[in-house]
Amino acid sequence: MASRRNLDPTDYRRERNLEEIRVQAEATRQLQVVGQPEKTSFPRATPEDGYYGLPILKKTPWTWEIPLYFFVGGAAGAAAVIGAIADYTGADRELVRHARWIAAAGSVISPALLIADLGRPERFLAMLRVFKPQSPMSVGVWTLLGFSSGATAAAFADFLTRRYGPSIPLRVLENAGQAASLAFGLPFSNYTGVLIGVSAIPVWNRNATDLPLHFAASGLGAAVGMLELMGHHKNRVLHTLGLGAALFESWEGLRIEARSNPDLDPLKHGASGFVTRAGGILSGPVPALLRSGSFFSSRRRSQSLRRWAAWSAIAGSLITRFAWMHAGRQSAKEWKPPVQREAGLSRQATK
Amino acid sequence: MPGLGTSFGRGGATTAQPDLANADAILIMGSSMAENHPVGFQWVMEAREKGAKLIHVDPRFTRTSAMADIWLPLRAGTDIIFLGALIRYVFENNRVFHDYVVPYTNASTILREDFRDTEDLDGFFSGWDAEKQKYDPETWLYQGAQKTGSSSSPGHSEAGGGHGKDRGGEAQDPAGFRSDATLQHPRCVFQVLKRHFSRYTPELVEQQCGIPREAFLKAAEAFTAASGPEKTAAICYAVGWTQHSKGVQIIRAAAILQLLLGNIGRPGGGILALRGHASIQGSTDIPTLYDILPGYLPMPFFEKDSQKLDSYVKKHSARTGLWAGFDKYFISLMRAYYGESATEENDWGFNWLPRVTGDHSHFGYWLDMADGKLEGLFVMGQNPAVGAANGRLERKALANLKWLVVRDMVEIETASFWYASPEVERGELSPDTIGTEVFLFPASGTAEKAGTFTNTQRLLQFREKAVDPPGDNRSDLWFVYHLGRRLKARAGAASRDAALRALTWDYPTEGKHDEPSPSEVLKEINGWSMADGKQLHHIKDLKNDGSTACGAWIYCGVHPEEDRNRALERNSKDALGHGWGFAWPNDCRIIYNRASARPDGKPWSERKKLVWWDDEKKQWTGLDTPDYEKETPPHAPAHIEEGEGTSALGGARPFTLHPDGVGWLYVPSGLKDGPLPAHYEALEAPVKNSLYSQNTNPAADKKQRPDNPYANAHGDPRFPYVLSTYRLTEQHTAGGMTRHLSHLNELQPELFTEVSPELAAERGLKHGEWATITTARGALEAKVLITPRILPLRIDGRTVHQVGLPYHWGYMGQATGDVANDLLAISEEPNVRIMETKALLCDVHPGRRDRHAPVSERVPSYEESRA
Amino acid sequence: MSVTAFLTDATLCIGCKACEVACKEWNGIDEDGLQFSGFSYDNTGSVGASTWRHVKFVEQAPLPGLGGNSGEQVSWTFSSDVCKHCGEAGCLEACPTGSIVRTEFGGVFIQPDVCNGCGYCVTACPFGVVERNSKDGRAFKCTFCYDRQKAGLEPACAKVCPTESIKFGELEQLRQKADERIAELHDRGMTDANLYDPLDTSVAGVHALFIIRGDARTYNLPPAPEVPTIYLKKAWTSSALAAGLLFGGTLLAFLSAGKNGR
Ligand SMILES: Nc1nc2c(c(=O)[nH]1)N[C@H]1C(S)=C(S)[C@@H](COP(=O)(O)OP(=O)(O)OC[C@H]3O[C@@H](n4cnc5c(=O)[nH]c(N)nc54)[C@H](O)[C@@H]3O)O[C@H]1N2
Ligand SMILES: Nc1nc2c(c(=O)[nH]1)N[C@H]1C(S)=C(S)[C@@H](COP(=O)(O)OP(=O)(O)OC[C@H]3O[C@@H](n4cnc5c(=O)[nH]c(N)nc54)[C@H](O)[C@@H]3O)O[C@H]1N2
Ligand code: SF4
Ligand code: SF4
Ligand code: SF4
Ligand code: SF4
Ligand code: SF4
Ligand SMILES: [Mo]
Repeated sequence: MASRRNLDPTDYRRERNLEEIRVQAEATRQLQVVGQPEKTSFPRATPEDGYYGLPILKKTPWTWEIPLYFFVGGAAGAAAVIGAIADYTGADRELVRHARWIAAAGSVISPALLIADLGRPERFLAMLRVFKPQSPMSVGVWTLLGFSSGATAAAFADFLTRRYGPSIPLRVLENAGQAASLAFGLPFSNYTGVLIGVSAIPVWNRNATDLPLHFAASGLGAAVGMLELMGHHKNRVLHTLGLGAALFESWEGLRIEARSNPDLDPLKHGASGFVTRAGGILSGPVPALLRSGSFFSSRRRSQSLRRWAAWSAIAGSLITRFAWMHAGRQSAKEWKPPVQREAGLSRQATK
Repeated sequence: MPGLGTSFGRGGATTAQPDLANADAILIMGSSMAENHPVGFQWVMEAREKGAKLIHVDPRFTRTSAMADIWLPLRAGTDIIFLGALIRYVFENNRVFHDYVVPYTNASTILREDFRDTEDLDGFFSGWDAEKQKYDPETWLYQGAQKTGSSSSPGHSEAGGGHGKDRGGEAQDPAGFRSDATLQHPRCVFQVLKRHFSRYTPELVEQQCGIPREAFLKAAEAFTAASGPEKTAAICYAVGWTQHSKGVQIIRAAAILQLLLGNIGRPGGGILALRGHASIQGSTDIPTLYDILPGYLPMPFFEKDSQKLDSYVKKHSARTGLWAGFDKYFISLMRAYYGESATEENDWGFNWLPRVTGDHSHFGYWLDMADGKLEGLFVMGQNPAVGAANGRLERKALANLKWLVVRDMVEIETASFWYASPEVERGELSPDTIGTEVFLFPASGTAEKAGTFTNTQRLLQFREKAVDPPGDNRSDLWFVYHLGRRLKARAGAASRDAALRALTWDYPTEGKHDEPSPSEVLKEINGWSMADGKQLHHIKDLKNDGSTACGAWIYCGVHPEEDRNRALERNSKDALGHGWGFAWPNDCRIIYNRASARPDGKPWSERKKLVWWDDEKKQWTGLDTPDYEKETPPHAPAHIEEGEGTSALGGARPFTLHPDGVGWLYVPSGLKDGPLPAHYEALEAPVKNSLYSQNTNPAADKKQRPDNPYANAHGDPRFPYVLSTYRLTEQHTAGGMTRHLSHLNELQPELFTEVSPELAAERGLKHGEWATITTARGALEAKVLITPRILPLRIDGRTVHQVGLPYHWGYMGQATGDVANDLLAISEEPNVRIMETKALLCDVHPGRRDRHAPVSERVPSYEESRA
Repeated sequence: MSVTAFLTDATLCIGCKACEVACKEWNGIDEDGLQFSGFSYDNTGSVGASTWRHVKFVEQAPLPGLGGNSGEQVSWTFSSDVCKHCGEAGCLEACPTGSIVRTEFGGVFIQPDVCNGCGYCVTACPFGVVERNSKDGRAFKCTFCYDRQKAGLEPACAKVCPTESIKFGELEQLRQKADERIAELHDRGMTDANLYDPLDTSVAGVHALFIIRGDARTYNLPPAPEVPTIYLKKAWTSSALAAGLLFGGTLLAFLSAGKNGR
């Protein structure tokens, strides 16, 4: 009677099979164990890896426009400085003019890149609502504005002068423009280092001191390289400046390599580390060696070495900006750095 | 809800959610309350914060467990062992609240000599008819019980039906009952109980539930210590208890425990049935069920004596207690249905009511449909293609219909089975050959119509319409009313149309779409006097002479004046919420609350006072509406032998729906599977029943057939793991209301299965990747979530792994996934005919499912599995 | 107007995500993807442009005290995260347009009509809260329900929380409440309960306090958050030095090369 309800012998064929299986199962009573728990993994939240290892920080939303802007700005700013000082020291007019052109081109391309990043031109105007000294971006935008007006004014005046001959208003414009482009070009060439240094991204803010210097040197290297490629490859001053920039960049690279702070890992490991090193080598040791080599080479060879150095410095400067952006993104993805700084903040009420 | 109905008299939660805040311990079992009733859970948290012990017993560590002081993982389907052991603990450790139990329960009542327990008959109570596969419950009656009804075995009509017995079993005349107030008589309920549960030991809990003995004892102590005159403990349950082949008996076990501890009718005590949909309590009160009429009046069955109102009334009314008014409730209902057409001469239209001829429950008619016996179907507010067990069978059955009307707010799976179901994908069904004509009607949602909800605590709340429904969307009231109107207009002279002709169907309509007024419907439900149309105030106003009409006697008083709708009231005056909505009956928030006072009418303790006798005013008074005759003093003697109605119960019998006025530890009639809970394994279980050689509930109906097969009942090597299905906070039931909403879908976008690290290792499952789960019915694929929150249990010396599966997904909407119910079998618990969703056998493998063959063709046969 | 704040108490949170949904509903925020994450019941991951309230599901090593006799088995803590409305807010300081302002309630609010989407605030938030929306490019985060607060209502997320896990009120009062609550929790055996309120750091305290169990890092709450403005001095000094070097170096180079600078 008892078993009748559970399994009716008149049941379907499959069910009869089940009855037999049951008997067999009872005989063995054993489940086959295939593996051990250690073999499975699943995410857990721990103080060591945080909340399932998910990043705490948001990575920067900036796309290619911004690192390119860093590059252009750096080169343009440095070019403006070179142009102005060359002018004041009475250097080659052609050099002054070319430097101005680079600065002017940069001051047109730069806002275009920013606008491309923002999506719509009128959005750029929102930047001009306020001036906030505590916001490097605000300071930077006003700097860009000053620089752009100065650099374009100088280049424009220069152009008109050449076309229609000199005149007093043009001279005034040219001088004022040049002065402005020098004054603003100096910060403009390196403020982007401040911009990312003053952030919550560990790999950036850990380098807040180095970044402006680094970016300035990188911009200088690129500006020099551009001028050299525009036909000033025999200019010794540029050569010296290029060498200086390359040496500084080499030193900067060594400094990064020498510091063992894990927050700097994105600069040394993985894809971002590779790009950083590539950029660093191209802006530092390579041009430094090429330029040093050029001192001891035949004239033709020396010029070719300088051209290579110029190319290398430009490429290095460009790659470096992308590398920092990449490293910033990588750094934001890493869970550990932002929580590593311990502080006794958890207040446990005293009873 | 016959578990509560037979034990206490009414099929509804005995308490209200806000009252949980008064509990000293809360046992949540068979529900993940924090997840599925998060708003109500605030009062559980409040109690916990006030120091109450919170115990959660659940196979999984859920969001509710995370809030608990004690979580005990138990093997799905072993709840009766756990509760039985708690009951035994109460006996063994003298935790019985004697002063409550003796006067307020049937502990002292003596049983017949020929009653035999499961302990004597190895898993059967006396009266098992192996031929008919059902019980003859005659021997379960009390000694000296007289049957007032005319049917041979009270409460057990041939053709199923359990809900109607919520009123506490078939009428019995208590005149001849014998009792022993010392509780010493060997056949008194108290002693029978003691013997019955003596085998439910902590050791058995350890062996069979998988809960370590010490852990069990810790919980048992915490719960029982929080009971007595100064303290109370509450129990909350939901479908983790009901959806078993023995669900009603699990609830019965809880009722026994709470009665022994004196926790019913008292603040912070009680049993809270957490009901599912917003108005699911409403849909049993004014039923969508086939076997009852509004107010739990049984539907007449097709039987030889079912033609006469007299015998129907006699069968279902009692001489003593509230059911003495059965004729008043019934005749008033007929007057509400048929108005002036219902007359004394035509038995108040009794014979216009249809008769129940068989199992017309969901599964009953669905299997008929699968067998081609049904032509058409209305599906309104349900999504059986996803929500009902054995999804493949359910969907294929739909293809046998001529027409199908679906009314829903979105295109649900039930309406799209003919082109989007897995059966179509597998080529079992094809849109080209399906003959079913499907009509999909847009229904308006809750915010787009007015009306009442009756929630889990029997509280009616009327809500106004917030916005007009868009487009062609109409309320269900509109649809049913206008359908009825059209049918009525077509009614001819034939006698089969007589009921239609007689039906009053004259609700006023409003607006450009002729929406019937829901408050007019509520007025009819409340009831009025036929003579002057005045609203009734109280159940006591109902008459058996046809002078009153009332749509549902238990709701009487909700709309006591023409312009007073108590369900619409929003001025909560106290912690129990009086002044906000209307709780049936009579706005009692905690029912049977007479039991909150001692027999002499004084509260058991100051701390736990609720309702008491006011000697000055000569009436019952207190913090809640007294659930008692207001003016019957506590010392009024009972006249059980000869009295009539509630007055026969005297002043100290709180369970007024029972003819003897007490709570039933032992249920002599009204249940189909026994007067006491006994442990049976689930229909599919990994082990044999360790208590009896009878493995499963003998009265349960497996509906076993080729398209509804089972794994072996105990230990099937093809399906070694226990599977349980459940809910997630982020989704709702079959998904029609959530899987189309992005703000919810993003929170739980995909079907997943929860497994322990040990099982994952055993089967090579990888976190976040696919797994295929199979049962004897079907297969599905789900993402793997490995978590230590699922524990492998030690059962009888071996490891039993559990597989958890939420059941909300389907093939329509924004977030789609396989249908969990494709894995389930159609089965019927004997009393309420619900399926077993919580304990099954399955297997699980890494990888995705085969999209082309139904699993039944791929599960290896015995021969293959041996090869 | 007094400074308002949140106190979100993980010991009361049941993980119902009502706050997360209410925030999205009130603010009309888009869904952010239908991906199963496998991180417990959390399929959102973190706060961001399209999630301003986010409930964390911390499945961690067993904790003492409440929570499913977790001392022995497992534990699961829920914690609802939100913008911290920092006392010294990196995002606000960084914003070049002045779009981010401090409201009269002390909250940090992005004016959507001013924001130009420069994304600088994103790199300036030490909690990874504010994010640029990929569709229209502007930055978004919790508004502290500025609109509701102005109308005298409490924030939507606090309003819906069924268990009062999210408390909204006056900052100093909540700080005091938090201390009392922690003392109480310790008495109840939850010795690992603690308050996350980085007062002594450069963010100068937050207006969203959190009561949590165990180590803050488990919840991705940085123990020592820094407002990036602390790097301003360093960076600008270095910038000035760089400018000086560039100027001086170039000048020197040209001067030393003599006329014509060849
Ligand atoms: N958010 C949300 N809320 C809902 C719903 C929803 O879909 N979503 N549905 C509503 C409806 S219709 C209903 S009926 C209710 C249901 O509310 P609940 O009953 O709480 O719902 P479930 O999640 O199905 O099951 C409850 C628990 O039972 C456990 N369980 C499984 N088997 C057993 C067993 O054998 N014994 C014991 N003791 N426990 C077991 C499961 O692990 C699960 O945690 O919720 C309602 N509320
Ligand atoms: N495996 C497994 N299966 C289960 C369960 C389980 O735990 N495990 N639980 C069972 C339980 S407790 C339940 S309650 C069922 C639920 O199963 P169903 O009731 O079939 O599922 P719902 O999705 O709730 O279906 C309700 C439908 O009504 C629609 N609706 C909402 N409001 C209205 C309205 O005003 N008018 C109309 N016409 N339609 C409306 C919704 O859009 C939705 O599609 O599932 C059962 N099935
Ligand atoms: S959905 Fe409605 S019924 Fe369910 S918990 Fe939320 S408020 Fe209560
Ligand atoms: S948490 Fe981030 S977004 Fe919020 S106020 Fe602070 S810095 Fe700004
Ligand atoms: S994205 Fe908008 S809010 Fe953020 S810094 Fe830029 S302008 Fe300010
Ligand atoms: S305060 Fe308002 S905006 Fe902020 S999380 Fe809460 S609901 Fe969202
Ligand atoms: S609403 Fe409250 S309880 Fe729910 S998840 Fe949010 S904080 Fe937790
Ligand atoms: Mo339900």
